[in-house]
Amino acid sequence: MVSGIETFETEVLIIGGGVTGTGVMRDLALRGIHCLLIDRRDLNAGASGGNHGLLHSGGRYAASDSETAAECRQEGDILRQVAPDCIDDCGGMFIAVEGDDPGFAERFPGYCEAAGIDCESLSPAQAREREPALSDKLFAAYAIPDATVDPFRLTLENVNHAQQLTDSLFLPHTAVESFEIANGVITGVLCRNTKTGGMRRILVRQVVNAAGAWSMDVARRAGCSDVSLLYSKGTLIISNTRITDRVINRLRPPGDGDILVPGGTVSLLGTTSDNVDDLEDIRPTVAEVERVLIEGTAMLPCLEGTRFIRAFSGVRPLLLPAQNTADGRSASRGFTLFDHRDQGLENFATVTGGKLTTFRLMAEKTGDLVARRLGNSRPCKTATEPLPSGNAVRWTEPGFAPRFWYRRNDPTDMILCECEMVPQSAIDSIIESAPGAESEMTLQAIGVRSRVGKGSCQGSFCSIRVTSHLYDRGVYDSARGLHSMRDFLSGRFKGVQPILWGEQMPQIELSEALHCSLMGLDRLDGKANDPEKEGSG
Amino acid sequence: MGQGERYYRTELAIIGSGLAGFAASVFALARGIASAQVGNTGAVAYTTGYLDLLGSCRGLWLDDPWQGLELLRESEPRHPLSRIGRTAIQAAFDQFSGALTEMGVGYTAPAERNHLALTPAGTVKPTLSVPQTMLPGIEARKAGVRTLIIDILGLQGFSAKEFVANIRSSWPQLSTAKLSFPDMESGGQVFPEVMARALEVSSHRERFAERIKAALGDARLVGMPAIMGIHHPDRVHAELQRLVGVPLFEIPTMPPAVPGIRLREMFEQGFPAKGLTLVPQQKVKRLVLEAGRATLYLQDSFGEVMIESKAAILASGRFLSGGLTAERGGVREALLDIPVTQPESRADWYRQDYFDPLGHPVNRSGVEVDSSFRPLGPDGEPVNHRLFAAGILLAHHDWVRQRCGAGVAIASAHKAVEAVADMLKEQ
Amino acid sequence: MKSTLAYKESVIDFKAKADELLPEGASYDSCLNCGLCSSGCPASGLEGMDPRRFIRMAMLGMNEELSTTPWVWTCTQCKRCMYICPMSIDVSLLVGLARGAWPEDKKPSGIVRSCQAQLLDSGTSAMGLRSEDFIEIVEETADEVRQEDERFKDIKVPIDKQGAYFFVNQNSREPAAEPEELAPLWKIFEYVGADWTYASKGWAAENFCMFTGDDEAWKRMVRQRVDAVNDLGCKVWVNTECGHSFYTIWKGVERFGLRANFEMGSLVSYYAQWIREGKLPVNADWNTGGIKFTLQDPCQLVRKSIGDPVADDLRFVARKLVGEENFIDMQPCRSANYCCGGGGGFLQAGMKEQRHAYGKRKFDQIMTTQAGYVLTPCHNCHSQIEDIGGHFGGDYRVVHFWTLICLSLGILGENERKYLGPELAEVGL
Ligand SMILES: Cc1cc2nc3c(=O)[nH]c(=O)nc-3n(C[C@H](O)[C@H](O)[C@H](O)COP(=O)(O)OP(=O)(O)OC[C@H]3O[C@@H](n4cnc5c(N)ncnc54)[C@H](O)[C@@H]3O)c2cc1C
Ligand SMILES: Cc1cc2nc3c(=O)[nH]c(=O)nc-3n(C[C@H](O)[C@H](O)[C@H](O)COP(=O)(O)OP(=O)(O)OC[C@H]3O[C@@H](n4cnc5c(N)ncnc54)[C@H](O)[C@@H]3O)c2cc1C
Ligand code: SF4
Ligand code: SF4
Ligand code: SF4
Repeated sequence: MVSGIETFETEVLIIGGGVTGTGVMRDLALRGIHCLLIDRRDLNAGASGGNHGLLHSGGRYAASDSETAAECRQEGDILRQVAPDCIDDCGGMFIAVEGDDPGFAERFPGYCEAAGIDCESLSPAQAREREPALSDKLFAAYAIPDATVDPFRLTLENVNHAQQLTDSLFLPHTAVESFEIANGVITGVLCRNTKTGGMRRILVRQVVNAAGAWSMDVARRAGCSDVSLLYSKGTLIISNTRITDRVINRLRPPGDGDILVPGGTVSLLGTTSDNVDDLEDIRPTVAEVERVLIEGTAMLPCLEGTRFIRAFSGVRPLLLPAQNTADGRSASRGFTLFDHRDQGLENFATVTGGKLTTFRLMAEKTGDLVARRLGNSRPCKTATEPLPSGNAVRWTEPGFAPRFWYRRNDPTDMILCECEMVPQSAIDSIIESAPGAESEMTLQAIGVRSRVGKGSCQGSFCSIRVTSHLYDRGVYDSARGLHSMRDFLSGRFKGVQPILWGEQMPQIELSEALHCSLMGLDRLDGKANDPEKEGSG
Repeated sequence: MGQGERYYRTELAIIGSGLAGFAASVFALARGIASAQVGNTGAVAYTTGYLDLLGSCRGLWLDDPWQGLELLRESEPRHPLSRIGRTAIQAAFDQFSGALTEMGVGYTAPAERNHLALTPAGTVKPTLSVPQTMLPGIEARKAGVRTLIIDILGLQGFSAKEFVANIRSSWPQLSTAKLSFPDMESGGQVFPEVMARALEVSSHRERFAERIKAALGDARLVGMPAIMGIHHPDRVHAELQRLVGVPLFEIPTMPPAVPGIRLREMFEQGFPAKGLTLVPQQKVKRLVLEAGRATLYLQDSFGEVMIESKAAILASGRFLSGGLTAERGGVREALLDIPVTQPESRADWYRQDYFDPLGHPVNRSGVEVDSSFRPLGPDGEPVNHRLFAAGILLAHHDWVRQRCGAGVAIASAHKAVEAVADMLKEQ
Repeated sequence: MKSTLAYKESVIDFKAKADELLPEGASYDSCLNCGLCSSGCPASGLEGMDPRRFIRMAMLGMNEELSTTPWVWTCTQCKRCMYICPMSIDVSLLVGLARGAWPEDKKPSGIVRSCQAQLLDSGTSAMGLRSEDFIEIVEETADEVRQEDERFKDIKVPIDKQGAYFFVNQNSREPAAEPEELAPLWKIFEYVGADWTYASKGWAAENFCMFTGDDEAWKRMVRQRVDAVNDLGCKVWVNTECGHSFYTIWKGVERFGLRANFEMGSLVSYYAQWIREGKLPVNADWNTGGIKFTLQDPCQLVRKSIGDPVADDLRFVARKLVGEENFIDMQPCRSANYCCGGGGGFLQAGMKEQRHAYGKRKFDQIMTTQAGYVLTPCHNCHSQIEDIGGHFGGDYRVVHFWTLICLSLGILGENERKYLGPELAEVGL
């Protein structure tokens, strides 16, 4: 063994900690298989942490792709059964406003019927009674069974369950660098610990590439040239409060800013769709926010005066057509599973594309392939086996932490994030036992596993309180705690920057003063902390 | 007095009760100008308590702020501090810190060099004048004195361990202890303000001092979060030191924190006694400038308040305080819609990196003034000869990154009051 | 995660109400989460709550919790949070709404009973004192004054005097429990020659209906009083030394759009005016021992109503009465003053432990002044400050202004010194 290299061994290595990768992990664990899941950053660092959270009824695709629409509907029904904790079955509406094509509106119920989607026609008055925020320029409306889903909760529960079942393991900040291949079989995967810079070797029997938009890159590292992707960036904005009870879709072929999705106590408006060449440093821009907002305002005029607290972007991988796919199905199904046999590899599979809504099905198909390859004949159970919840994975649900805290009624359990009312006990349980918990846990990692930093102050106060708490608990004992705070705030700012106007301006001004004038976080590097040596003299 | 009878007539109306507004009141009172002041809670309520003149220029920390001002004059001639002479700035700071001291919150007199003041994160920042309650810590770090840092059970956002972990490299001889505050031992949340008020009572001081003594060990100095009284910090500080037997000092904390509340309340409670007409915690709804007067209209739940004056100083701060508002299409001045110098479009307001050492372009937006600090209208001429402007509302500075918040506020207030005095004399 | 739709009908939607009732830019949506409100609120920490948390819970849709937390009865609706908030966000308004939504039988019975008592009789007394009894007590007491003090042998205590300049209201506590305390105020009116009257209808000062959160009852109460003043054709409704009654009436008139053909004023402002005019030649000569006094600004009168002008009047009167050097302000004071914890019906709510915890800040403030007496023109403040003094072991007394005014003028009767210490028992007799 080469010194300095950590070695791990597993039956199946899964690359990519999004809903797909974690879904595969749980699927396999339910078949009794041990997995190791890695992500170069953390859970939901890709599209799974940057999406709309819409559990599609299928209405959206009814016109263009009735097969996908039906798939969404079926998967939605399954998830409602097995993961009720992750879902807000709020219902949805499609609405057309002045200027939209009346013909499309008229044809819509027919499309839905073809895909088996319930669709109730509403008069404009009925629609506005249900959702008073809707524009009075509305002329057609249909109710459809849309819902929302919390992707963070999904991934956390997937991993948590897999850990329980087969002691499967999740390793954050572990990026695939290269594959050790002998005779068409991958025997080991070399990864870099992106936090420490050290190397990790993972000895494997099977490898699943679920790296989403990055799966082309990962496949190429394994010598496979069959995965060929385009990238489409989508930007969304989050309001400070929940604007509608239901999902509101614009009744027209998909375009910018045409869906407003409630996310617990907030709403998300999106999304844009622009092809990009580069996956790194994806960030929302002012221009994108303007586009989304102008379109959204046509449906919901109140958006004009709404306080937005953040924007974010995700990247959808788009599969180039005419691929050799595992089950020979066309890309119209939304996702593709590659078995890479024609690339000369026996134990490598790539699953990419698809939706959050259909992640379970993607995992099932992938699980079937991998289990077969391992000689495991147990069937997939994810369609019937409910996702168990656990103490450390409940904190991403908006409103859960405050209700928990309120019921518990323990005055010593201080609230650290006041916006989202996340108590100390939540942070403690996350540091101790959330999937991917480690000894020196960063604020970002805590943020992924809770609502910390997601409220209107966007972490400006709670970052300070949580950091102090972490120092107090001994999680940090060096300047790294402050650096982690700074990184966390820089990360948040990416999303905050394009929505800075109106009521968010006083907030950011206060934040900047806090973080620079009070805490000195803009001067952490180099000699800045020891200014005597640097004075202008 | 019944409803709707609140009407004041005065020489100078000061709009804003941040550092600039209060400094303007100090200077106006000293000159015997009858003044009225209005304003709500603003940036100053969150301050560290340090009075920065200029801590950073061209990205460098400044040891000598006065020399820094020279550099600034060359590189940023439109910066408010570049438009005020050194002697005036010095006089303004002397007078202002002196007034604070006289009102019960002792400040160090501004000297030639910046202090390197302590922050709750265990970092340090260059600043010119510091509260006396915070001074011993700044000096102890320089001398490397063995010091105990305490934090308090239930006080959020302040960890002695955090402070020590981050400052250790320049101040190795530190120990930590967590104390509970008398009568607040439950482990629930405690606010610095509440402890500070409690420490104004002698029995609490005595009990707290006992706890500090018990934790002292071989430390020769004790640092603690800023909780040594709101109204008589110097007295509380002296009393506690006497009881503990070693020098003590305060470290500022995150909001809601004592230093800002202290300043706000000191002004609010102290100024009326000095003859200032203060309409506290209210905002001007309308400002009408006419031939012979400037009239401020306010509205509280009880009814209308009117202030008629000969001159007005606009010291209404930035976004946090409501002096400026940011619409999607641009930045505006809130009261009179005075033109605001600003970046081309919203996309240019902020740089990508939050902590970019250059700061953000929108921070430099603000109101333009003439040489008498009269705000300029669209035609480049003063909006009105009775209207002056002061404070961080002005354009061409980035007080957060340049560590010049108090500097801009105090110096520009001085300048504006001088100009007001000239104007009043002419009449 | 369940849909939030289900229970929306049954409980208050606090966020929506805030948007509806609070001014633009000062609604919950504008909150910066800075915590200044909570830091400065004496009810913070009680029942695990504080004003910022109230706002956050509203924003997070925790309507059930907000509708049921007993904290709403510990918030005295003193509006200090709003005063301190950079965005001027008012928490107390929705606290009132939450109170109102409590089932009648779950509300603190003391407040409810007080309000019910007020609704029973046209006198509107919260202590259940009926008008005929009030009139009888007033007349008996007036007779005693006439007999005891030669100087006041002709003192008039008019009732229902048509067209009197001042319509004076009266807190029920004096007639019901300590009638001898009525006399000092009458003597002052007599001294300055005020044209005043009590009324047989709507004479009582207190208004606990507002504190039950029952807007209808509050309105009824105010309407009865407004009608009573209108009927008598008085110019000024003058509020006695009682903080909340002043707020409830002017606010009630405004809120319910009632027509009041009169002005509303506080007795304190008139004390100040009469002293300035030389009609009340008070001085501090009696205070030979240099007894120190501090002052409680009733929030209902100062912060929630007239603001600093009346706080200035209070100080002007107090300084004249006790001597410049013997007056020590609590800090903070005037509009920034802390509520003592007696307001909002807290005294009647039966939540003693919480009320004491709330009052601890007031107690500390008083102790810092080292004053021997606390002056306050508010009955709730008076009771609460006395009570916390007893509870925390404070060595001070609480007095009304009228006591000191009469003391200073040498017209305070021997039996009107209940609230004075032994050192003042003989002064000026
Ligand atoms: C803007 C937007 C809105 C959307 N809205 C919806 C919606 O409303 N409803 C819906 O059903 N679907 C929606 N989707 C689609 C949905 O989000 C995705 O289909 C889904 O999240 C994909 O999950 P994944 O796990 O396949 O990929 P990802 O979540 O992208 O996960 C890939 C992971 O791989 C990791 N990785 C990459 N390279 C490496 C490496 N070398 N080593 C280790 N790890 C690596 C990444 O860090 C990342 O975490 C949306 C997508 C976008 C972009
Ligand atoms: C977190 C934080 C840390 C800080 N740390 C430091 C520090 O270390 N050193 C330092 O020197 N300074 C510090 N400051 C304070 C800051 O520098 C000063 O508050 C600021 O420079 C004073 O500027 P000002 O008076 O112009 O504006 P502000 O303090 O913003 O005051 C503006 C005033 O105008 C009022 N106003 C606005 N509109 C109206 C209207 N229509 N009518 C009436 N009044 C109105 C507001 O209510 C407010 O009272 C800090 C501030 C913050 C927020
Ligand atoms: S003071 Fe105002 S802005 Fe600050 S937390 Fe309280 S309500 Fe919010
Ligand atoms: S009204 Fe008074 S008691 Fe109620 S929350 Fe505000 S400050 Fe606290
Ligand atoms: S009891 Fe006194 S201090 Fe408290 S609310 Fe009433 S008037 Fe205010």
